[in-house]
Amino acid sequence: MAQVVFSTWGGTTVDNRDVSGEPQAVSFRLPVAFDGKRPLRAFMGWDGIILFDKDVDVPAMTAEYMKRVQTLYCCGRCTPGKKGTKVLMDLFQNVLAGTATEADLDTVEDLAELLKNCKCTLCQSATVPVFDAVKHYREDFQAYLDPHYRSKVHPARYIHKITAPCMDKCPSHIDIPKYIEAIKNYQMDLSLATIRENMPLPAVCGRVCPHPCETACRRKNVDEAINIMVLKRTASDYERVHNAIPLMVPKAKKSKSVGIVGAGPAGLAAAYYLALEGYPCTIYETLPEGYGGGMVAVGIPAYRMPRAILQRDIDIIQSVGVEIVYNCRVGTDISLAELKQKHNAVFIAPGAHTSKPMGVVGEENGYKGFLTGGINFLREAYLGKPTGMGKKVVVVGGGNTAIDCVRVALREGADLSCLVYRRSRKEMPADIWEVDGADEEGVKFEFQVLPTRIIANENNEVTGVECVRMALGEPDASGRRRPEPMAGSEFVIECDTVIPAIGQDMDLSFIPADMGIDITKWNTVVTKYLPLKDAAGKDLKDSMGNPLSRTLMTDCEGVFAGGDAEIGPLTVVACVGNAHRAAAVIQRWLEEGQAYLSEEDIFDDVLTYLGVYDKGEQVPWLDSATRANQKEVHGAARAAKGNYREVELGFSDSTAQAEADRCLRCYRMALVAI
Amino acid sequence: MVTLTIDGKEIQVPKGTTILDAAAELGITIPTLCWLKKVSTTGACRICIVDIEGVERPMTACNTPVKEGIRVTTSTPKLEQARKKTLELMLVNHPLDCPICDAAGECKLQDTCYDLKVDKNRYGAVLERLPIRYDWKLLESDPNRCILCEKCVKVCRETVGREAIEIVDRGDNTIIDTMTRQPLDCDFCGNCIGACPTGTLISKPFKFKGRPWAFNVTPGVCAFCSSGCVIDYHAKDGRIERVTSSDDGYNRGNLCVNGRFGYAAFNAPTRLTAPLVKDASGKLNKTSWDQALGTAAAGLKGITGVAGGAAVAGIGSPRVTNEESYLFQKFLRGALGSNNIDSEARLGYFPAQVIQWQMLGYSGGTFGMEAIEQATAVVVVGADLKAESAGFAYRVIQAVTKNDAKLVLAGSRTSSMNKFANAFLQCRPGSEAWLVAGLSKAVPAEVVASAGTISGLEGLQSSLDALSFERIAEITGVPETAFREAAALIRSGGRTAVIYGADVIRSVDSRNSVAGAVNLALLTGAVTAAGAGIYPLDEKNNTQGMLDMGVCPEYLPGYHTYEHAAAAFGSAWNTTVPAVAGKDLFQIIDAIEAGQIKALYVMGSDPLQFMPNRPRIVKALQKLELLVVQDIFLTDTAKLAHVVLPVATGAEKSGSFTSVDNRVQCFNAAVKPAGDARTDAVILQALYNLVADKAAASQTLDALHHEITALTGLYSEVCDHDGCRMGRIKNRTTTSVCLPLAPLTLSPASRPFALTAGPVLHHNGSITTRSANNLLVIAEAYVELSATDAAAISVTAGDALTVTSDTGSITLKARLSEELQPGTLFVPAHFGDAAVTTLTGSASYPQFVSLAKG
Repeated sequence: MAQVVFSTWGGTTVDNRDVSGEPQAVSFRLPVAFDGKRPLRAFMGWDGIILFDKDVDVPAMTAEYMKRVQTLYCCGRCTPGKKGTKVLMDLFQNVLAGTATEADLDTVEDLAELLKNCKCTLCQSATVPVFDAVKHYREDFQAYLDPHYRSKVHPARYIHKITAPCMDKCPSHIDIPKYIEAIKNYQMDLSLATIRENMPLPAVCGRVCPHPCETACRRKNVDEAINIMVLKRTASDYERVHNAIPLMVPKAKKSKSVGIVGAGPAGLAAAYYLALEGYPCTIYETLPEGYGGGMVAVGIPAYRMPRAILQRDIDIIQSVGVEIVYNCRVGTDISLAELKQKHNAVFIAPGAHTSKPMGVVGEENGYKGFLTGGINFLREAYLGKPTGMGKKVVVVGGGNTAIDCVRVALREGADLSCLVYRRSRKEMPADIWEVDGADEEGVKFEFQVLPTRIIANENNEVTGVECVRMALGEPDASGRRRPEPMAGSEFVIECDTVIPAIGQDMDLSFIPADMGIDITKWNTVVTKYLPLKDAAGKDLKDSMGNPLSRTLMTDCEGVFAGGDAEIGPLTVVACVGNAHRAAAVIQRWLEEGQAYLSEEDIFDDVLTYLGVYDKGEQVPWLDSATRANQKEVHGAARAAKGNYREVELGFSDSTAQAEADRCLRCYRMALVAI
Repeated sequence: MVTLTIDGKEIQVPKGTTILDAAAELGITIPTLCWLKKVSTTGACRICIVDIEGVERPMTACNTPVKEGIRVTTSTPKLEQARKKTLELMLVNHPLDCPICDAAGECKLQDTCYDLKVDKNRYGAVLERLPIRYDWKLLESDPNRCILCEKCVKVCRETVGREAIEIVDRGDNTIIDTMTRQPLDCDFCGNCIGACPTGTLISKPFKFKGRPWAFNVTPGVCAFCSSGCVIDYHAKDGRIERVTSSDDGYNRGNLCVNGRFGYAAFNAPTRLTAPLVKDASGKLNKTSWDQALGTAAAGLKGITGVAGGAAVAGIGSPRVTNEESYLFQKFLRGALGSNNIDSEARLGYFPAQVIQWQMLGYSGGTFGMEAIEQATAVVVVGADLKAESAGFAYRVIQAVTKNDAKLVLAGSRTSSMNKFANAFLQCRPGSEAWLVAGLSKAVPAEVVASAGTISGLEGLQSSLDALSFERIAEITGVPETAFREAAALIRSGGRTAVIYGADVIRSVDSRNSVAGAVNLALLTGAVTAAGAGIYPLDEKNNTQGMLDMGVCPEYLPGYHTYEHAAAAFGSAWNTTVPAVAGKDLFQIIDAIEAGQIKALYVMGSDPLQFMPNRPRIVKALQKLELLVVQDIFLTDTAKLAHVVLPVATGAEKSGSFTSVDNRVQCFNAAVKPAGDARTDAVILQALYNLVADKAAASQTLDALHHEITALTGLYSEVCDHDGCRMGRIKNRTTTSVCLPLAPLTLSPASRPFALTAGPVLHHNGSITTRSANNLLVIAEAYVELSATDAAAISVTAGDALTVTSDTGSITLKARLSEELQPGTLFVPAHFGDAAVTTLTGSASYPQFVSLAKG
């Protein structure tokens, strides 16, 4: 088991350098080997230093850390940052060169104090490990003051990574502070170009992203998070309302091509990044032209994501060299094997378009008015096809899809739109603002209610749904209290339509068994991963329970997978991040014959696992600028029959600029020695 | 309102106020280096840190908004120490070349270090000198002196809208440079120099011209475009060596290339410094003032004595002061007895203002141009804002970037404003009347309904109804949907501003295009008290004032008609003013050709440069018995003159200019006239007495103001200038009349290319073509054509192209444009030697021409 030799991480000093007895036990959410192979010897970052290997040359690592901060990332936009890190960098270089003095070491503390006045967090946070190093390893630094001193320890290779809490939390790792700063500086084009480096669907993720970034916004420790999502929308809307044409120039066309299954967020993102690298990409999409976008199109109603605006994002992606073949279902119109033959690499991103069954009596009976599932209902409505919906609609479920269904039901002309959920309102997995939106539109909610039976008349038409009320019992594995039926509380909700919306599933039937592509028991595609383990020898997993660092290549060489079908049903932003990585790996595979993760990719995963945001951190700042929220259309009329006009209205540019000015720009750099 | 305490003093300020501004209200000065009021906050220097009770770190006062109940301390030993250390860091490796630094004496870094007593440095770092950019035009950048305050970058981006310079590189190598690291290619407005607190960005022409404190600084009004920017002339040894502008002035210190660098024309070695009289051999010889004035007076008296005042005509100048324009027409009318007086405004601005007067009851802008910043929608028709009047461009940029205004651009040419536009309706050149009609037709009914009381609305509506969008689209090339989308940006209850420029004013069907622009302003409520106004543009500084002063054949000063005011003016002047309208510019040429006009008096004007059909004008001028020209330079017209009188520039005299938005601003001379030159006023008063039957007493400026104010009735507000009686006119929104459109015309294109000649942003009129500074940026005329057309006729940039019209042909170098529409050409109108009027058969554009290589 890897032993922590020394650590100041998180403000607690653990010193096992000279212990005779039992060393102090401490563990960090870090892999023992950076890439599963090379041992992680030391970690240096915004919260201190961690040494796993006593032979790490701390002064050398400190000097390297400060050099990289100053020369690679210091933005130069404040005096203490620009000049202070320069002074520190040169000071540590002098240490290594044997030309520094004892007084120089004292300057480190002085500057660490002065750099607290920095404009942002990068240079300021960089003084933390540096100060810790000089404080706790002063003798090592002093040894260097002798010009004849030569370090005897084994030299290390250093890898660094710039991050920020929001950037880390965003599954697409968008450079959020940069795009926000650009808005603050009236540079909407730069802002959007920055977003597009990691997110080719800015109009989409500016509207419907659950914005996990905002849960990791350090401004929250002062007052409220920055409205990161709407700022993204602002940059994207600005380009559209100014009729500007984005200036992406793809590299020269290459001869190898990539075939992609599904024009959803993952398929589009992978295609976009590959096309920019010059690889011609063809996406095969089941739905007809005009309905690209996968779940964003057919799963998110137009009042949340206007179709024309989605289409514009898709058009821009196509403009860099992406072809979309519509009305083409892989497995039916063309086989996966044919695709593999036709293209040099294949990326599978079919999404999760099947509804999960509800498990209630009568659901198998084919009653008229019992619809096959929420996601199907939304798709039919979006495509303008008959949905089979009547006038009194009951939707079962608590996620965003269920909310979309009740709100669409109103717009499709339902007199009653009722949502039935077995837990309480605050436990709904749906985004709270979506639930509030449904509430405002007149949706009826039945919380802590479990449907048990579908009731139909003699004509096999649904007339109601029998339910039982639930009481909350002991917490389950997810930490939420398990709902249990209350005996004798059965009642019937009269209705003519029941829509189950309790979850989505993948349809992977198009993947032939003989291609060697493995499927998990959760019906996701298995992809290769790095054997990252913690100190206890346990495999590192991501928040979905998947291996932490995946190359996204399936067991079939040249076939890659991503999106919901690889992760499990999740979010647009997660699919885009996953597909962006897939695109990079596919490129490496096409160019070098090897599908592998770069050190940068791995570092992303390592930091995500470690966690960059610290909700307990005291952030001293005056809370005098309050968060701006976008305006929206109010009143029940917004959900009138046929009214799919957008409900949320975004920011005016000046509001966006002021909101952007609240950002604390929480960059920080991590450095590992391996 | 928010209440807070700063250094123990309580104050109430509006929500959103920064601590810095709140402190300033209390008279507490917090040191700053990167803070610049006119741009967004930066927070780079970290000098303005203050303590706030309960906040565990110092906060920067410049960008921290106030909060109810906070207690702020602006100075503690710890804060002072941190400020001092921060300055010490700033000085690490800062070059100590103050002895030769341009900023020495006006360096904010120097001042701040001095104030905070920074006399030693505890920090040091390896010295790496960054290369100085000597290869930029007009500006020099020494990044070693830079403190990265970002003011220059922000002014360039937020005020000028150019984004020519950015912060590039990382760490201690971070500098201000162009993104591409190529030499600067920008507006060359030099507003970055104005913003730079150190000697990083400096003016090359000013370098080594003297220490800042060695100059006499005189406030002035810029004598180039019609924006009327307030400036400071820095003079030494009788020469203007620098022009700056204070951020506290109307234009917030923002100038354009002409304002900042055009002064070099005043110092041009080709300035006329002595009177010239033509001898029998036709040669102009230097002579004395007495001789020259005597020759001119004798000639004029001789001709009026024989043929009467009607045999004399005068061409006035949009460059001279109001007082000089007044004296000019008084000389022509009162001393010579002629109403044959006109100017280059005849080519567009004046007829346009007659239409606007008829419809609105005033000419020029509705409000001072600052009103544009508060607009919710700005409609710009047929204008290249920066080229025609840069101050307007800066106001529009503020409106659209800071105040969420929507911008609709309509016209045949793209401009630097396109990147801010929410809609761009690009029409074919010459179809502006149709374009404006389409826009008027598309204005939503609810907007029109909220636009106030307008008469003539039915007539307009029915004339618009008679036009179909199909027909409009056919003529303009702009589809109905584009009109509808653009008009939808103009909201009911909003504040709309309408700006119209040269391409409307000098369009083929200017009557309909101008009336259409005014109609649009009426329909959108732009000209109501709740609107943001209508603004005609003109390229020159005092066109509006010149017309106000009656330099036109139709009206006496103040737009009084002869019928009701000739007698009054006559008696005030102790003479007789003829009571019939005089001849306009075109009629004057006709009359010269017909032998009816024998003498022409030209003041500050070069008809050969602007009059259509140059070959014809040359012949006419040669026919004159007497041509007197008063000018700064020996223009082509002056070369034909019998008497040439050297005059003063805008920096060499006192008086007032009226900007196109009707701001009347007074100024004093910064330097004496060059050589023996005299001001136009002095010359005119002397000549008046030499030719008039009854001499008039020479008047002081103050007396002249009294006379002008009394006779014109234009000025009713008192301006803040000492002793000055001229001020802004009032009561201008008197009428709101829509004009129905006359049947729209379309001239047939006889040659394949539609040519427009007009201003570009790096020059103003012809005067800056005498400025060595401006010539560094654009040295000569060129013909711009679309890259498509160039490819079709195998032309590359720099090739010689001969442009031919029915009246003549000229040869210019080709310049390629990705933005010009195929089939169109553009030639900058500034360069006299290009003689672009050789090609023009009329004053309107486009002119149809053909192109040939070579």
